[in-house]
Amino acid sequence: MTHPLRDDCPLEYNLFRRQLLGGGIAFIGLAAVPYGVAAFADTVPNMPLPKFMEVSSLLINHQLNGDVGGRLATAMGVAYPDIEQNIDAILVIARKNNAKIVEDFYPDIPPGKLQDAALAIISAWYSGVISEELGSEVYAYELALMYQPASDVMTIPSYAISGPNGWNASAAPLADMPKF
Amino acid sequence: MSDNYSADVVVVGTGVVGCTVAEHALDAGLSVLMLEAGPRVERWQIVENFRNLPPSLKANWDAAYPPKPWAPHLETYTDASAAEYLQLEGPDALAYRQGYVRYAGGATWHWAGICWRLTPEDMKLKSLYGVGRDWAFDYNTLEPYYTRAEYALGVSGPSDPALQWPPMRSKPYPMGQLPFGPGEQRFTDVAAKIGLHNLPAAQARNSGVSYNGRPACCGNNNCFPVCPIGAKYDAATTLPRIEAKGGVILANAVVYRVETGSKNAVQAVHFFDQDKVSHRVTGKVFVIACNGIETPKILLMSKNEKNSNGVANSSDQVGRNMMDQPKISAQITMAEPLWTGVGPVQSSSIMNTSQGDFRNVHTGALFRMENAARSRVGGLAALKKGLVGKALDAEIRRLSACTATLTIEHELIPLPYNRLTLSAKKDWLGLNKPNIYYDVSDYVRRSTATYTLPILKQLMAGLGTTDSQINNFYTHSDHIMGGCIMGTDPSTSVVDADCRAHDHDNLFLPGGGAMTTGGSGNSTLTMVALAMKASDAIVSQLKAG
Repeated sequence: MTHPLRDDCPLEYNLFRRQLLGGGIAFIGLAAVPYGVAAFADTVPNMPLPKFMEVSSLLINHQLNGDVGGRLATAMGVAYPDIEQNIDAILVIARKNNAKIVEDFYPDIPPGKLQDAALAIISAWYSGVISEELGSEVYAYELALMYQPASDVMTIPSYAISGPNGWNASAAPLADMPKF
Repeated sequence: MSDNYSADVVVVGTGVVGCTVAEHALDAGLSVLMLEAGPRVERWQIVENFRNLPPSLKANWDAAYPPKPWAPHLETYTDASAAEYLQLEGPDALAYRQGYVRYAGGATWHWAGICWRLTPEDMKLKSLYGVGRDWAFDYNTLEPYYTRAEYALGVSGPSDPALQWPPMRSKPYPMGQLPFGPGEQRFTDVAAKIGLHNLPAAQARNSGVSYNGRPACCGNNNCFPVCPIGAKYDAATTLPRIEAKGGVILANAVVYRVETGSKNAVQAVHFFDQDKVSHRVTGKVFVIACNGIETPKILLMSKNEKNSNGVANSSDQVGRNMMDQPKISAQITMAEPLWTGVGPVQSSSIMNTSQGDFRNVHTGALFRMENAARSRVGGLAALKKGLVGKALDAEIRRLSACTATLTIEHELIPLPYNRLTLSAKKDWLGLNKPNIYYDVSDYVRRSTATYTLPILKQLMAGLGTTDSQINNFYTHSDHIMGGCIMGTDPSTSVVDADCRAHDHDNLFLPGGGAMTTGGSGNSTLTMVALAMKASDAIVSQLKAG
């Protein structure tokens, strides 16, 4: 507290994401534990980041941020203990199809645990979280991919895309998807 | 802490009303002490709290403002958490889940910034339409205070009288109107085709220029739960200025009793600090400005031998006539894109639907398109469909651009049975929680059935709606009014035309609680105008000795 009459102490507030950004990868494993997976905190699986990024870039047709990927890889390794072996299986399917984008191989991923794993990875990148529960960790906000398809027109709340009175009533056609 | 707390003017509450009175008193050379139940924080902390919320919780206005144990407020995560503090009953109980944070700066942290005035007719419901009450004064009396309030907050608005509401002004708005984004322009065009006039809102957001040390609005589209840059007025921006002028602000000071003395004047207020230690504060004039729920709660908790119904309550009207604008919302999907999320989260409304001779039968209402960005909503909905790749991106874009929320806010007249009392349930400090009975009344229900829903459906059709879900229940607008109602007759009202308690010459209760009627528009500007009027009375009273 910096003043006896004020509440400026940041420790009282939930600053997980910014603390993570400043704290480095080593801190992430423990901080990233969402509700329901705390029991795994002492045995964090060490999912290889390159493998996570490889499968992510095949499942998602966007440029992917490595820092976000690092946070998600660690968190998903904790939340889904069998995620790495599911990723291995998904990569086998992708290579078999000589896949460059998700449309090349997603139809061949069988429903069940492999498709669930693929969708969980996609959902994490798009939403920035792996749990929606109160108090759960946010791994990406402004870099969460769900904001990108409308980002040419629509503000990511709290991040302005223009300046003072710099917006107007014109908007791009719905069909003009931004390039990712 | 020393207990030598005293000032010429003791202000309880650091929201926009308390800050307005405090600054006015300081400018007049009076000493001021402000007491705030909740914590005092910096803007960046709230912004970081918001950004670090999981996406689905970002819609919860309160989630970025965790309450302190000693200053609880509504928490909306679940029905169970929402039922913790506000105790609600009656046929429309859930429609009184009013949102306000107990933080230094008050509810303007998370208000939309909209600054509609009442119309002359809104202030004469009884004489014109035979319902509700008439104000103690007319629009012309209030107009100069509205103007002062607009210049104090920094209100932007149109210069063309045809676009003003109401078009009866003594001075122009201090700033010009903010531009429309594509959604608000399209909504305006559709409304015009069915004879309705969607007006640019008067709003306490800096338009194109800085004002009062705050920057110009850059369209961050996050007015609630918090403007990240302070371009929207909130009372937190006023607190440093109050301190610079010599005012003292005590945070985490929960006032729980008003003490009266000789001639039934107020001689002190008592507060608990965060360690549950009680303190006494003396002064010459006392201002309770804790919004329409906390103010009557404090008065009712302060009953004593001479004031057996509670302080300021010889009329038995404290806590009665609780008002808001009961809201009906529609979630719609359209064939063509609307594109909300450009500019502020609210920037226009249809207002002329609030006026008419029909008010002798049913109430009027305003209509609005919510302009919050919908990419979060569209993104989460598209993900649930299990889509991937280009199909996922296309669906997110479609659901972001082609969906909207339309809102009706109905006027509610003062009804004595809509009443705040003290619950037997106690909070962390052992203080009574507020209990509120709420029934929006047949006057509102008739309007919904015969007037507002048909207009809403016309708007939906005009927008090319292909799918819709209209709430079949009322929700809250967070415009808390009426619990310390103003009037000229001490037997039927709590405060006089200057928001002075009829029962206590040195107790002032400005703000939404004093409002006699609420109209259909957002209440804050009227609350500030009343605070300006009360400020003049306080300064005159103290200067006269």
